[in-house]
Amino acid sequence: MDSDKRIRVLIAKVGLDGHDVGARVIARGLIDAGMEVIYTGLRRTPEQVVRAALEEDVDVIGVSILSGAHMTLLPKLRRLLDEAGAQDIGLIAGGVIPQDDIEPLRRAGVTQVFRSGTTVQDIVEHVSQQYGSPA
Amino acid sequence: MYRTEPFVVSAYSGFGEAQACNQRFRTLLDWGAEQILVALDLPTQCGYDSDHEMSTGEVGQVGVAIDTLADMEALFDGIDIRQVKRIGTLGNSLGPVVLALFAALGQRRGIKWSDYTVNLQNDPLKEYIARGTQILPHGPAARLATDCVAWCTEHARHWSPMTVCVNHINAGGAGSSRATAIALANALHYIELLLAQGYGIDQVAPLLHMFPDERHDFFTTVANLRALRRVWARLMKERYGATSSEAMALRTTVYGHGQEALQEPLNNVSRIAFGTLAYALGGASYVYIASYDEAVSTPTEESVKVALRTQQIIAHEHGFSDTIDPLGGSYFVEYLTNEVEHQILAALAEIDQAGGAPAVIDSGLGRRWMSEGAVRRQRALDSGARPWVTVNKWPQKGERPDTAFRIHRESAEIQQRRLAQVKAQRDPQRVAQALAAVDAACASGANMVPPVLAAVEAWVTVGEICDRWRRHFGEFTPSTDF
Repeated sequence: MDSDKRIRVLIAKVGLDGHDVGARVIARGLIDAGMEVIYTGLRRTPEQVVRAALEEDVDVIGVSILSGAHMTLLPKLRRLLDEAGAQDIGLIAGGVIPQDDIEPLRRAGVTQVFRSGTTVQDIVEHVSQQYGSPA
Repeated sequence: MYRTEPFVVSAYSGFGEAQACNQRFRTLLDWGAEQILVALDLPTQCGYDSDHEMSTGEVGQVGVAIDTLADMEALFDGIDIRQVKRIGTLGNSLGPVVLALFAALGQRRGIKWSDYTVNLQNDPLKEYIARGTQILPHGPAARLATDCVAWCTEHARHWSPMTVCVNHINAGGAGSSRATAIALANALHYIELLLAQGYGIDQVAPLLHMFPDERHDFFTTVANLRALRRVWARLMKERYGATSSEAMALRTTVYGHGQEALQEPLNNVSRIAFGTLAYALGGASYVYIASYDEAVSTPTEESVKVALRTQQIIAHEHGFSDTIDPLGGSYFVEYLTNEVEHQILAALAEIDQAGGAPAVIDSGLGRRWMSEGAVRRQRALDSGARPWVTVNKWPQKGERPDTAFRIHRESAEIQQRRLAQVKAQRDPQRVAQALAAVDAACASGANMVPPVLAAVEAWVTVGEICDRWRRHFGEFTPSTDF
């Protein structure tokens, strides 16, 4: 991949959820696949994540969330992004998210939700296909 | 361990607001749970009240919300705490607050501290590398945690105010031997802080428990518990000169797990049973167990019941717990025990060399071990090198609609209302005095438990106390390494 066309990804932890192994494994997997990855660290507010995404000029934000607060925090994050004029920044998520919540999240602009049992390769492929420049 | 009775059948439970959660506790006790460990929601664990901005969307989600002593009273309403073997919670970053809440619960009912038993996890050091509920920098956090142990040596010698955890460090990827070494280094750090204050090893060591973890290999699990007890006994005796057998004998809490999958979640019942059996055969003292739907959400009442019954079956049927150390003498288990013991000691020597527990956090050593292991583990699963039925072997889609447990929609509102009510009814002068005493202990280094106990009895909130700590000690800095 051409270096100036590398996909830039922000891996984010929002809210108080302190489990970040999944987030860090995915971050490393995306780096290994040639992407540029920034990790927010724990306990960020949606506002802080939006600020980081704009400053780092990322293509997509991948939120890891296992705390059950996804229905509040993810739609809020999408809304703040849109309000900041960053409709082009993608928003995907992974973690402990019940099946029933996936469709409402999609409608709220979280375009993809990865649950337990997803491989790193699945996520790499999704991000490459959706956010890579056309060949 | 099981010379007189089997392991203690324990339940880790909590959700929503205290009144609804109280019903679940009563149900668990009716089913025969012998110990209840309260799962707290993340705002409580991170020292924020339910009306704080950071609590948005999180109130009551992964555990029950506790803002004040009023919530504790609602939570244990109608439950005779003397009839339960132990009650407690994690409270890793707010040890003195949760200890005070449990102590005040007895005081308000006129029950002596000697008549019930409190267990805390209260192990802040691992939060910085694994679990992530840290509030303060790790120096003052470790001091506050040891204040709980010191207080118990005087007021409640049979309580267990600290459970040092391997669990989350291994779950985070470190591997069970390295994770055991990190946890041991943390335990030694707490012990040394207490010894430096003039406490004796025979006084403090019996108050510490450990929470070992190995969830992928049955026989390594048995070996890990056997090796850990050996290493602990020798460290207490040889490094610190312990002479009492209580100081050298290590009591353990475990959480039975398998490699739970989202696909066909009922299969997790057998995975968890095997994982738990390994802990029982390894001689664990207090056993918790995962519910088969934990990969989906907070467990439903039905799945919690299956988990509890699984524990009772392992404790009482098949003769699993009739014999102490039933696998002792097996060529394979003895070989593995020696092997694991060598691995633990080698990793501990590496940590000692690096500067002990604080260096594991500050130098990034802990997170490095965890990240390396987590990537290795994920690759093994992705490639199929580590078999996982229904995921990488006979793979199934996890598309079945979930029956995820939901907390009541109005939980957060009920909680915020109760908090507002307590704040409106309390005596502001008493609150101010109590908080001033907390400030004074921050500054002087005096034991934090007495002023915090007075504060919770004056209806000061969890968040208000933690805010004073934040003001004096500062806040932790999140790591952005991966």
